Amino acid sequence: MSTSVISAHQKPQAKPAGQGAIELRQVRKSYGDVVAVDQLDLTVQPGEFVTLLGPSGSGKTTTMMMVAGFEDHTSGSVLIDGKPVDTLPPRDRNLGVVFQNYALFPHMSALENVEFALRMRKVPRTERRQRAVDALDRVGLGKMGDRKPRQLSGGQQQRVALARALVFNPAALLLDEPMAALDKRLREQMQEEIKTLQKSLGISVLFVTHDQDEAMAMSDRIVVMRDGKIVQSGAPDDVYNHPLTDWVASFLGDTNLIPCTVVERTGDEAVVDLGGLGRARVRDRGAQGENYAVSIRPEHLKFSSAAVAGNGCAAKLVTSTNLGATVRHRLTAGGHDLQLRELSSDSAARFAPEGEVWVRWDADKAQLLVLES
Amino acid sequence: MKTTSPKHRLVALLSLPIFLFLVIPTAIVVPVALNDSRYITFPPEGLSFAAVAGFFADKAWTSALTASLQSAGIAVVIGVLLGATAAIGMHGRKFTGQPAVVGLILAPMIVPTVVLALAFYQFFIAIGMVGSILPIGLAHAVIATPYVYLTTRASLAGLNPALVRSAQSLGAGPLSVLRHVYLPIMLPGLISGALFAFSVSIDETVMSLFMQSPAATTLPVKMFTDIQFNLTPKIAVSSALLVSVATFGLLLQVMFVLRRRSTARMLPMAAPAQT
Amino acid sequence: MSTATLPRTRPKGRDNPSPAGAAPKRRRTGWWLLLAPILVFDVVLFLTPLGKLVASSFADNAYQRVLEDPLVVRSLVNTLTISLASTLVTVALGYVIAVVLCNAGNVMRVVLFAVVLLPFWTGILVKNFAWAVLLQDNGIINAFLRGIGLTDAPVELLHNRFAVIVGMVHCLLPYAVFPIFSSLTSIDDRLGLAARSLGATEASVFRRITLPLSAPGVSAAGLLVFIISTGFFITPVVMGGPGDMMIANQIDYYARQLTDFSGAAALAVVLTVMVSILVAVYQRVLKAGGQHEDN
Repeated sequence: MSTSVISAHQKPQAKPAGQGAIELRQVRKSYGDVVAVDQLDLTVQPGEFVTLLGPSGSGKTTTMMMVAGFEDHTSGSVLIDGKPVDTLPPRDRNLGVVFQNYALFPHMSALENVEFALRMRKVPRTERRQRAVDALDRVGLGKMGDRKPRQLSGGQQQRVALARALVFNPAALLLDEPMAALDKRLREQMQEEIKTLQKSLGISVLFVTHDQDEAMAMSDRIVVMRDGKIVQSGAPDDVYNHPLTDWVASFLGDTNLIPCTVVERTGDEAVVDLGGLGRARVRDRGAQGENYAVSIRPEHLKFSSAAVAGNGCAAKLVTSTNLGATVRHRLTAGGHDLQLRELSSDSAARFAPEGEVWVRWDADKAQLLVLES
Repeated sequence: MKTTSPKHRLVALLSLPIFLFLVIPTAIVVPVALNDSRYITFPPEGLSFAAVAGFFADKAWTSALTASLQSAGIAVVIGVLLGATAAIGMHGRKFTGQPAVVGLILAPMIVPTVVLALAFYQFFIAIGMVGSILPIGLAHAVIATPYVYLTTRASLAGLNPALVRSAQSLGAGPLSVLRHVYLPIMLPGLISGALFAFSVSIDETVMSLFMQSPAATTLPVKMFTDIQFNLTPKIAVSSALLVSVATFGLLLQVMFVLRRRSTARMLPMAAPAQT
Repeated sequence: MSTATLPRTRPKGRDNPSPAGAAPKRRRTGWWLLLAPILVFDVVLFLTPLGKLVASSFADNAYQRVLEDPLVVRSLVNTLTISLASTLVTVALGYVIAVVLCNAGNVMRVVLFAVVLLPFWTGILVKNFAWAVLLQDNGIINAFLRGIGLTDAPVELLHNRFAVIVGMVHCLLPYAVFPIFSSLTSIDDRLGLAARSLGATEASVFRRITLPLSAPGVSAAGLLVFIISTGFFITPVVMGGPGDMMIANQIDYYARQLTDFSGAAALAVVLTVMVSILVAVYQRVLKAGGQHEDN
């Protein structure tokens, strides 16, 4: 199971170029007084892998259900390839959907599951059979067609669900937390396989997850949602390294948040006063708020052999914990608790706890953001 | 995910006649009994308690009511005692032959009542127990006991046998364990079991018919005999009395369901099939 | 706190296992006594009468005699046809009710449950009486038929097979609803969504997903209803005509009219064996359904 069974070199399905765009315009969903999704604007370009990332209750699944047509939106418009689909039932939207628990039909074999969409489209029997076998082959399950879903492992069920969602050449693929039920190792393998498959088919994907690692690993673009609104969107490393708010920074991973006051803003950069840590030059995206902080990811803090003016400070080492691949150091500096993470291979037991150290960071890895909480 | 699609509304609309089909026969009984007419008609022509008065003035009907209450009393007392002791005895235990014992306890539920009626008819004649309400009450107890056993067992299902053992290890005697451990937990099951037993007996017709005698003619038997000749206001009053028992039982069951917040749980507890 | 449940001396922690271990030993002798009453009762008042019944059925060449009686053959045929018809109607109507219950909101569901349970609690004679009132010549249904000009003379709605089936379906519906309802609720909602995303219409979702997956509930309901149907006694007498007598009525006829006890007993054994076989099949269906859900 360690090698990828989804073959990337298969011929991509015949699909006219430039198709598979999903667009949401000012889409709103409310249940009585409760607003689940609020004035959402979102575009998935043809061939793009877009992830809706957010905690539960952020509206990400509702958004996807509205795209699929399972939920009606209260206002706004959903377009697929430029055409409004607001009044189209799910069956006419031509979107492949993979559900959290796969939703395989338990009374049908894997092959019959995959055939289902073609049967609904009245594809002749022999062609239907051939295309379903091909689709199962593509996900490495060509020999498992006769098995019922309960006779398949979690990863195999996942692949059948993918084949079923792809067999009818949908305009785009919608994936709703498709890996939540898999263990960590299998999940990472499936992430790579899905990504490979998506690239080889050139199909657009709208992916829903609450797992930031998964989002980072798979997406062309991450759309971070909170309380029914988009709080930030961009390429994974851009969102990760340059969050707009402390909430986004924390949701995407560990970070050091140092409250600051803005001294001067010059477009992409700003000069801030970090209180006890002095002044520093940091990245700025122009986010406006009442309180500001600087976010530096633990892996972007480095030990320094000498004092660095501006982007560094003196600190005191409190504890060091070996996490296997990395070592986590906890420090205090200027009244702030800091976290520094480095590769175990880089780390020597050169610092005694309670030792005085210097740390530094790169100016473009320190991000000015708005403190919401 | 609940969607109220047009399909669902269509199905709901289509189902309305079926729900009316279920409700209407029971719903008309009380109005018919209080109808101001010498004939049985629906819709009623006016409100009158004449039929009710007539029912309670008729010795044949009042003694049938008495006979029914007596047989139900016997069935409830025996059913509760036997059903409850059996449920306690089985609670948290596994032994060889257990399926056979459970099978025997539940068997009276599946034997067609007409078969039991015939068996009891022969049996009680053979042992010379005829002409009183006692054999009818005993026969009702036989088919009522499994229901009490089931309801009591269901309410004991949440009781951890280890709790009983720990109470005993702390020196509690059998009576004390019964009073302080078992009784509070089984009480809801006992009450609904008793109600089932009462309902089974008060509505049972076939066995009562086989074992009837001038001194022991129950309400359903009297109704069954009269209904074959004519639909009379007294049958209507008798039906209304039985409907009030049914309504009481139903309300109690609904309350039970609401408390448990589960509709599926009580389904095996369905009231007995009367044929 | 009642002091009665407290031990006189608190056992030391070390001694604890010993009294706890001794307790089951003490009970081992006693607990059979709790089962004794019901076992004695059922042996004396259930197994003995049934045993006597079976024994008496072997007297006087009873089986051959009753099975050669054309009236018996007729009642057996009636039992099968009436039960089958009632079962089909009951399961079909029960399915609709179960679907509505599944889609209903919480409050509505309780109300509808109460409606379904109402015939459960209502005695058979009450139900049959009410149907007789509704279906009689000057009853409301005939009045309605006259009112819309469908007929001038009253239509014979009572004392025929139609009436028997109406009365039986009314009694049997709750038994069909619950097995179907529980198999419908065990179907994952997302299967329907998945099918619709794959191009299925509402009708195909029902035909290809909902119906096959609720099949175990339907067959359980059908068997249960059929089992109960075969024992109907009161309804054929009150609602049916002379040609609608079922096997239970035939047993009654042999016992109380002909006072042919061995013949009646033989018929009763035939009915019981029939029902027992169906019950065995029913339990198998339930078990198979249960296994399906486990996976």
